[in-house]
Amino acid sequence: MSATPTIAFDATRCDGCGECMSACASAKSTDGSSAQSRIRIVRDEESGSWGIAQCRQCGDPRCASVCPAAALAKGDDGIVAWDAERCVNCLICTAGCTFGGIAFSPAEGHVVKCDQCSDQHAGAPQCVSACARGALRYVTAANVYNRWGELEDLFVPGLGGCQGCNTELIMRHTLRRVGPNTVLATPPGCIPGMGSVGYNGMLGCKVPVFHPLLTNTASMLTGIRRQHKRKGRNVTALALAGDGGAGDVGFQSLSGAAERGEQILFVCVDNEGYMNTGAQRSGSTTYGAWTATTPIGDSARGKAQDAKNLPLLMMWHGCEYVATASTAFMEDFYAKLEAALEASERGFAYLHLYSPCTSGWRFPSASNIEVARTAVETNFAVLWEYRREQGLTLSRDIDDPLPVTDYLKLLGKFRHLDAAQIAHIERHVAEQAQVLRELAAMQPCEGRQVVGRQSDLMAVDLDQ
Amino acid sequence: MNEVAEMTAPVAEPASGRNAPACDAAVTRKEPKVLVCDGNEAAAWGVVLSRPDMVAVYPITPQSSLAEYVAQFVADGVLDAELVEAEGEHSVLSVLHGAALAGARTYTASCGQGLAFMFEPYFRTPNLRLPIVMSIVNRDGITPQCVWGGQQDAMTVREVGWVQLFCETVQEVLDTIVMAYRIAEDRSVMLPVNVNHDGNYLSNGIVRIELPDQAEVDDFLGTPDVNWHAALDPDRPMGVDPLTGGATGPGPALFVGYRRGHCEGMQNALRVIVEVHEEWARRFGRRYAPLVEEYRLDGADHALVTIGSMAGAAKDAVDAARERGERVGLIRIKTLRPFPVDAMVAALDKVQAVGVVDRAVSYGWNSGPVHQETLAALQYCRHRIPCLSLIGGLAGADLTQAHFERAIAETAKLFDGPCPRTPVWLNAEDR
Amino acid sequence: MEQFDYVVLGASHAGLEALRAIRAHDADGSIAVLDREARLPVSPTVLPYVVSGKCAEDRIALRERSWFDAQRVDYRQQAAAAALDAARSRLRLADGREIGYGKLLLATGAAPALPPIEGLSDVRFHVLRTLADALALRDAANEVASEAGRSAGRAVVLGAGLVGMHAAENLVRAGARVTIVEMRGQVLPGYFDATAAARIEAVFRDKGVEVLTGRRVKQVARRGEDCTVLLDGGDAREAELLLVAAGVRPEVSYLSGSGVAVERGIVVDEFMRTAAANVWAAGDVVQTPSFFGDGTPAGGILPDAVEQGRTAGMSMAGDPALRPYPGGVSLNTYGFFGRRALSVGRDAPAQAGPEWDVLVRDGEGAEGYLKLVLREGRLQGIFGVDVLFDPGIMWELILRRVEIDARRQALLENPQDTARALMSGLWR
Ligand SMILES: Cc1cc2nc3c(=O)[nH]c(=O)nc-3n(C[C@H](O)[C@H](O)[C@H](O)COP(=O)(O)OP(=O)(O)OC[C@H]3O[C@@H](n4cnc5c(N)ncnc54)[C@H](O)[C@@H]3O)c2cc1C
Ligand code: SF4
Ligand code: SF4
Repeated sequence: MSATPTIAFDATRCDGCGECMSACASAKSTDGSSAQSRIRIVRDEESGSWGIAQCRQCGDPRCASVCPAAALAKGDDGIVAWDAERCVNCLICTAGCTFGGIAFSPAEGHVVKCDQCSDQHAGAPQCVSACARGALRYVTAANVYNRWGELEDLFVPGLGGCQGCNTELIMRHTLRRVGPNTVLATPPGCIPGMGSVGYNGMLGCKVPVFHPLLTNTASMLTGIRRQHKRKGRNVTALALAGDGGAGDVGFQSLSGAAERGEQILFVCVDNEGYMNTGAQRSGSTTYGAWTATTPIGDSARGKAQDAKNLPLLMMWHGCEYVATASTAFMEDFYAKLEAALEASERGFAYLHLYSPCTSGWRFPSASNIEVARTAVETNFAVLWEYRREQGLTLSRDIDDPLPVTDYLKLLGKFRHLDAAQIAHIERHVAEQAQVLRELAAMQPCEGRQVVGRQSDLMAVDLDQ
Repeated sequence: MNEVAEMTAPVAEPASGRNAPACDAAVTRKEPKVLVCDGNEAAAWGVVLSRPDMVAVYPITPQSSLAEYVAQFVADGVLDAELVEAEGEHSVLSVLHGAALAGARTYTASCGQGLAFMFEPYFRTPNLRLPIVMSIVNRDGITPQCVWGGQQDAMTVREVGWVQLFCETVQEVLDTIVMAYRIAEDRSVMLPVNVNHDGNYLSNGIVRIELPDQAEVDDFLGTPDVNWHAALDPDRPMGVDPLTGGATGPGPALFVGYRRGHCEGMQNALRVIVEVHEEWARRFGRRYAPLVEEYRLDGADHALVTIGSMAGAAKDAVDAARERGERVGLIRIKTLRPFPVDAMVAALDKVQAVGVVDRAVSYGWNSGPVHQETLAALQYCRHRIPCLSLIGGLAGADLTQAHFERAIAETAKLFDGPCPRTPVWLNAEDR
Repeated sequence: MEQFDYVVLGASHAGLEALRAIRAHDADGSIAVLDREARLPVSPTVLPYVVSGKCAEDRIALRERSWFDAQRVDYRQQAAAAALDAARSRLRLADGREIGYGKLLLATGAAPALPPIEGLSDVRFHVLRTLADALALRDAANEVASEAGRSAGRAVVLGAGLVGMHAAENLVRAGARVTIVEMRGQVLPGYFDATAAARIEAVFRDKGVEVLTGRRVKQVARRGEDCTVLLDGGDAREAELLLVAAGVRPEVSYLSGSGVAVERGIVVDEFMRTAAANVWAAGDVVQTPSFFGDGTPAGGILPDAVEQGRTAGMSMAGDPALRPYPGGVSLNTYGFFGRRALSVGRDAPAQAGPEWDVLVRDGEGAEGYLKLVLREGRLQGIFGVDVLFDPGIMWELILRRVEIDARRQALLENPQDTARALMSGLWR
């Protein structure tokens, strides 16, 4: 079963203007009336909010399951298509659908449903373009998943990670894209802890993989990449490293390799501490956070210093490519991985991934992606991208963030925070966002295009 | 499922199996190129002749000029190698780890604090069985702050599992670097080799040397094959250095396998070092004692034990003493690791007393490291003979013929009374 | 003897949905689907449209063979089960072969129930459950109608359930004179409330159909090729075509002595497990418990067969997302003479207590009829004729026991948009 594009609705942005319905009607109706729109925006007077009735193009369409005439089927393009020839007009499909996605149209005399304009405007649903408020979004993330799904999984099934950890997601998806012509370095930490380099002769990867020292990942990859290149081979030198191995004890080698412009793809999986060894503080740990070495006591309230901004430090190395990404925004992550991989053929590429740690940060294992998303939506973790040629670009709008407390309250490691500490974090988040805003507004050099714009690969969250 | 790197015990095969039988060096040897240079430049020429794929360097006194020579040779196209100017010694060796696992013949040089900083990857190198050749331009350790020669650096890391060779002359430095690749890359060894040459004495002492012919060296070294046992290569995917060990299960035995294999490789190295030196002599006409040099031991009743470049002045002192009729000889250790127990025992058995001159300190025993090694070897000797510790040449201090004459005198005293438990500090009264 | 990890008996709605659910979770297990028919699966629900000629018989298959191949399912036709040995996990087929299973799903549906009417076994009559039935009925209907040089013949339909009503409409459209005889007091009993039923009945009468409710057939007697239908009041109808559509009975003939408990259907628990180990059952073949836990009719409809098939499949494959089957909710989308009647859920009982609320909108003509039934502020049933709403959403509101009291008036006025807005908020 493959995933397919869908139209996402954000009720908080909808004001019920009805432009989408008009657009649909003009694309679809036989008499031009809005009543024939296949998207219905409806008001719930009780809650005062707008709702939607539109086919979700279900992965497992119940309308099709109950159709006695096999008149409905999900096509390879993801559209649940209706076949006029087969339909007997029994309306049982309308009993199968719980979204109001397929309904009888008195004007047309049969059931109708949204087909995402696949007949005339494939890939450009008219309702979405008609919505000026961004309440409707055409989510094509699924395309990327499908493409990724076809790539070979280079990790063994079932790694020994903590429940709910998103690192396996990062490892699998990164390796799928990077492919088998890769040498993978996984310095001591959660990633080899999950069994990627194996244990006592068992092995977790299908690509050559090794434990560098915690301190020398980028240096070992330097030697590997250069030697293969010397022999005329384009082998990807990939690191999947934790924040300690990247930014603390391993920072010297990282910095050295970045400065030399070594052709390495360095992915830092930032869980803001030494989580594999029991959740100790690192240079990436947030101010105020509980860790095993910044405990809460009579005279201590968690970490007393702010985290260093590792991706920005990397940007100032003048790397070929630097970006931050989050597993809550996979489409954005994929695009950046793609760009980073390509950049690593020319020079140093650094990808910084925010990786919430279910056990070390103390939150339920089911909410990893939610935590990751909230971090981004509160500007706690800002998604941006730097290309040497173009400077820094914000990957999504940061001007209207959710309150930082929405993020803090999700995590047990912040439970003890007092008002002053919260204010400190809020200030720091705002400052960092401002720095990035200003960097994005800068022009890297004379005569080039303005770079302070929002990137085209506007991240889309997938769970809506 | 991919294989896991096999690093337990490279199969032992005779070194001669890989190399064509030696021709008669005297007949075929071309007229050697001669140059006048110091030990660092000689080492750099040794590197050029060995044709490494990758060289990584970071400068440190008194090694810096060696790094500069290599960089210049690369810049001039004399040496076709990847040069990585890493941001520190730790990375220098780490780069070479990666390169070697990708199949590269590699070289670097360091000393003193650089070696100390390099220690983390350094002590992993032999465990990965990577045949990296590294010069240590021996330097004393701080503190007190000092930038001069002394062997405290190499002596401190002697239990880490590298092969450690100590040179006496500038020519030997060049020759030993080339030989080191043959030793390191021998399938029955597969271990990194340190070629030690004393900072100041050798690194900066200018002499005339002969440069072996490149084609001859190429033939001598053969094509490098350094990652047959453990590779990071998509064509041969494997996991290098998986977690191994633990209290139960297959772990303990696996771990023992790695350690025992390493020890066996070290023991194989003793044989290979001898064979390689022998072949060197045949091909290039220069013969060095591979393990332990015996100098004028015939008829000697006592001897000095030395290591590194100090042997030159020590031999002069021995010659002078012989002139005076003193029955003294000299034992020079070239191979400290693996320790050549048999060769050392054979030499010690020829005398009744020894004085061991160290350029480093063994704090725990209040003597010198080589003194400790000698004491240990004496366990295997026919008789228990007195063995005096003498320490000199620290932090660049001169060890002159006079110092060795005193050393000989102090050793001779062992025939008259008990052997002191404290070292003789040879430079203590220098002014 | 052949052996499969999963054997699904019956390739119709319940069986096919179970198959999908099994494969969704277990990509590798071996699966066989056995069906007694010698053709690709066809839904009984589509048969009225075969009778009417709307559907060509070669364009109604629920699945093509390639679909089974793609699912890596061994699909066998003409493989009718004859006996089940649950103790040894074996199924014996009508041709004597045996098939071993790890897990077995019984999804053999139902067969027409024949009422105990005197003389029925002596006359030619029709039923409608299989494609063969439909083709025979189609031909007979054409004969009744289109014989040149004589007025249309009469057709008598026993039973005013969905099958009977559909058939009656088809027969009228074909040109026959039609009489419907229904034992209970209204047409479509159990599906629609009396008012809705009366509206529907009126439409049939308008079309010239004789609708006899509250009447029984006492006897049928052969009269040449035709038959005489004697009614309880003493009057009779001559029928050139007799259709018996008096309900269904579960298709369980192969289960005797198997250890699978059967009452009004196969008895199952909330995961569709039968009394026998490793045997599940779903669809019309089971005795479906009512979601409401009362005697209201449940089961015997297509959406329930699908839900049960899915539940069974997930349970068989060990899918952790499995949820208990909530029980059946009556649900109908009934089209007649170009009009539509929809029903979801149950009506209020005759002696309804104060916790019940019934709201009715009974406009004239095109205005349509709508009835909402609430209990403790939660939707119990909704019935409409010529009023549109989304039955799927109403079903979900009932299953979720959503509090709708505040929206009752809005629902009555505009059930479609009101329920959509409510549901849209619930999905977020
Ligand atoms: C004329 C008609 C109209 C209908 N209209 C509607 C409607 O409008 N709305 C609605 O919801 N429902 C309607 N139904 C009911 C609906 O069709 C059934 O609820 C549904 O088909 C049940 O599906 P099932 O898979 O349980 O059984 P079935 O569809 O009956 O399938 C059973 C399968 O098992 C096979 N089988 C039987 N015995 C054996 C055996 N011994 N060995 C092997 N295979 C065997 C049969 O060949 C068949 O393929 C209608 C039914 C009929 C007959
Ligand atoms: S009509 Fe309804 S059930 Fe069918 S695919 Fe669309 S949303 Fe899903
Ligand atoms: S109305 Fe048409 S599409 Fe819907 S279930 Fe009936 S036959 Fe299928």
